[in-house]
Amino acid sequence: MHPFRLLEPESLPEAIETLGRLDGESRLVAGGTALVAMIRLGLVKPDRLVSLHRVPGLNRIRVDGGSLELGAMATHADIERSRTVRDGWPLLAEAVHRVATPAIRTSGTIGGNLAYAEAASDPAPALLCLNAEARVLGPGGERAVPLARFFRGFYEAALEPGEIVTAVRVPPPPAGARGGYVKFTSRSAEDKPLVGVAALVVLDGAGRCVEARIGLGGSAPTPVRADRAERALRGEALTDAAARAAAEAAAGEADPLSDLMGSADYRREMIRVWARRLLIALRDGTALRDGTR
Amino acid sequence: MSLSFTLNGQPCATQAPDHWTVLDLLRDGLGLMGTKYGCGEGVCGTCTVLADGQPIRACLVLAAHVRGRVLVTVEGLERDGRLDPIQTAFAERGAAQCGYCTPGMMLAAKALLLENPSPSEHEVREALSGNLCRCTGYTKIVEAVLAVAGSK
Repeated sequence: MHPFRLLEPESLPEAIETLGRLDGESRLVAGGTALVAMIRLGLVKPDRLVSLHRVPGLNRIRVDGGSLELGAMATHADIERSRTVRDGWPLLAEAVHRVATPAIRTSGTIGGNLAYAEAASDPAPALLCLNAEARVLGPGGERAVPLARFFRGFYEAALEPGEIVTAVRVPPPPAGARGGYVKFTSRSAEDKPLVGVAALVVLDGAGRCVEARIGLGGSAPTPVRADRAERALRGEALTDAAARAAAEAAAGEADPLSDLMGSADYRREMIRVWARRLLIALRDGTALRDGTR
Repeated sequence: MSLSFTLNGQPCATQAPDHWTVLDLLRDGLGLMGTKYGCGEGVCGTCTVLADGQPIRACLVLAAHVRGRVLVTVEGLERDGRLDPIQTAFAERGAAQCGYCTPGMMLAAKALLLENPSPSEHEVREALSGNLCRCTGYTKIVEAVLAVAGSK
């Protein structure tokens, strides 16, 4: 593996200061599940890594003012096992549980997952549906970035040089919300999704969608919300036809890539299939199993 | 850099280059060859070891990140010369063909049983989902883990 120097700041101010004074190619490392693999493959050759492991408290999971606050270093395993998350934010627990395999989830972190800006992230579509925001700290101070504006492009997050994601804040889901995440993989079940669909709906007594949010992974250069599909649903009864129309809209507004996992057309077709199935499962309260080709 | 942690029940203090992963440390630094180098990209699972009872990929975790933690490798499964029940079950059930995936399989199973002593077959399969066996021997492996769970 390409040799690098490892710097281990013990506080956030020290981490910001360390990132600020480094020249050459330096990278921030959290769990390392993506970055170390990329270094091993020779895709990046950093001179230095700045690890966040020694910064205390960055892996906390707590509720603050009604919102869930996930420290950036909370691992996927920490989050999926958290009683707080499972009870209050079950859609997030469900999506995080689908990331890769158990021994990856014990290392990979939520901050790392978002900063990596993987288009086919499992947690991102769920967090988009939950209107989460990233807390970002940099030389210029702290700012909050709604997740809807956090993903700037293909593997590109809205982070300036020297900035660190410190936490993810997730507001409580609306009262009566039903949420679900479904992952379709085209190679093997532990792979990243060909497409992932998260949805959150609130139905009134007559079965109409008071609220409808749909998040898509693997469906564009970044994780996205399916705005047109959501608009098609709001105020409408969630009939089979309405679910089909919304799924059609989601497939239409998707802008997927073609790669070794599948073509853009195939991805669009799978969004159509899985968005419809997910919406109907949420309406009927039935379980929907992940799909593998 | 200097590192100290607990390895298979014993304190371990050592030196390692900054860029070493746990796999480099175990095999090249400490000469423990039980942890296998498979894909080196976190996909195959044969380098799985336990850190504080949880399974990790030794090939992806930086050595610095296990400082102060409790590591268990396949060499640490036996106690006082007696095999762990998982090892016995793997041997008795023939849950190995070429054996290359076996250390990772057993540690993934160990992590599961530490957290959930009586898992269902589905839970066993999910816990082993990140460990590939290229001899396609999953049936015997799952049977062996379930046998240990059932014997408790």
